[in-house]
Amino acid sequence: MNADCAECGADIAVPQDAIVGEIVSCRDCSSEYEVAEISAGSVLLKPAEAAGEDWGE
Amino acid sequence: MKASITFDRLRWEEKALKDAASSAGLDMSLVDVKEMSFLVSATRPELGAIVLQRCISHYRSLMTTLAIEGSGTPVINRLAVAETCSNKLAASIALSKAQVPTPRTIVAMSSDAVERAADELGFPLVLKPFSGSWGRMVSVVKDKGMLQSLVEYKEELGNPLEHMYYLQELVKRPPRDIRAIVAGEELVACVHRYAPDGEWRTNVARGGTSKAFKPDSELKELVHKASKAVGGGVLGVDAMESPEGYMVHEVNNTVEFKGAQSAVEVDISERIVRYVAETARR
Repeated sequence: MNADCAECGADIAVPQDAIVGEIVSCRDCSSEYEVAEISAGSVLLKPAEAAGEDWGE
Repeated sequence: MKASITFDRLRWEEKALKDAASSAGLDMSLVDVKEMSFLVSATRPELGAIVLQRCISHYRSLMTTLAIEGSGTPVINRLAVAETCSNKLAASIALSKAQVPTPRTIVAMSSDAVERAADELGFPLVLKPFSGSWGRMVSVVKDKGMLQSLVEYKEELGNPLEHMYYLQELVKRPPRDIRAIVAGEELVACVHRYAPDGEWRTNVARGGTSKAFKPDSELKELVHKASKAVGGGVLGVDAMESPEGYMVHEVNNTVEFKGAQSAVEVDISERIVRYVAETARR
């Protein structure tokens, strides 16, 4: 499955076994996206949340 | 039995937990809390018998746990545990009350009090935020001049929490610490975490590497005590080897275990999922 990077336009290859919620990155510009929807072999990405000050374990 | 794993960023751990649940034949759904809203007083039967909380955002984790517990569904870890672990002062108090050896800690409630507190503790010391993870904004403060500079920076920050100060003795430890992963009464895995070159913090998020080891009975007992002190559940207990013996410096509420898993044979996700299912059945 493939999608375009909204930032730089590069092609992002999304693994076939990806699931909704998974994070993928653009190899060219490192922008991060979250898999929003998978249907009939096509994938919809949305920008991933930026790391927050309260992120952690 | 149906259960849920709540998340807001799908990390390696959440996928591993979901896979472990599937392998064990457990019906555990991954639920993105960013898609959720909660009507206060409404029950949430679709979440199942129990929820394993795995949010990466501290505040979202606390609010979601509060909302889910409020709806009558139990959450691992309980809100009280999450609150204790996510506030370093609360965790220090809990460990100290349970007589778990922990680094000497002083909190100063303003920049006026911080120098006196530092003098009492002695330099070098460690300055930590009250709430935070991955070693973020944790500094070794070598002397009074360095403390003054850090305080000046922190006073310019907008968050009032940054205007109070959590100071801890710098423990003389080898260039590693201990991460123990606990699920209920079980000590699932124990690893040493080594700091990367040029770094004193051992956090895996900062490039630290993990190596498995067999804990001795003293450490096992200490980990158990520390876990109990904060209320128990699925936890990451961090300890150090000080000249006086083991010391626990932190207990993590949403433990990350990708690093530890790379070093141990036991399937950490499987043990966690099994604990979640057993807790739901009780």
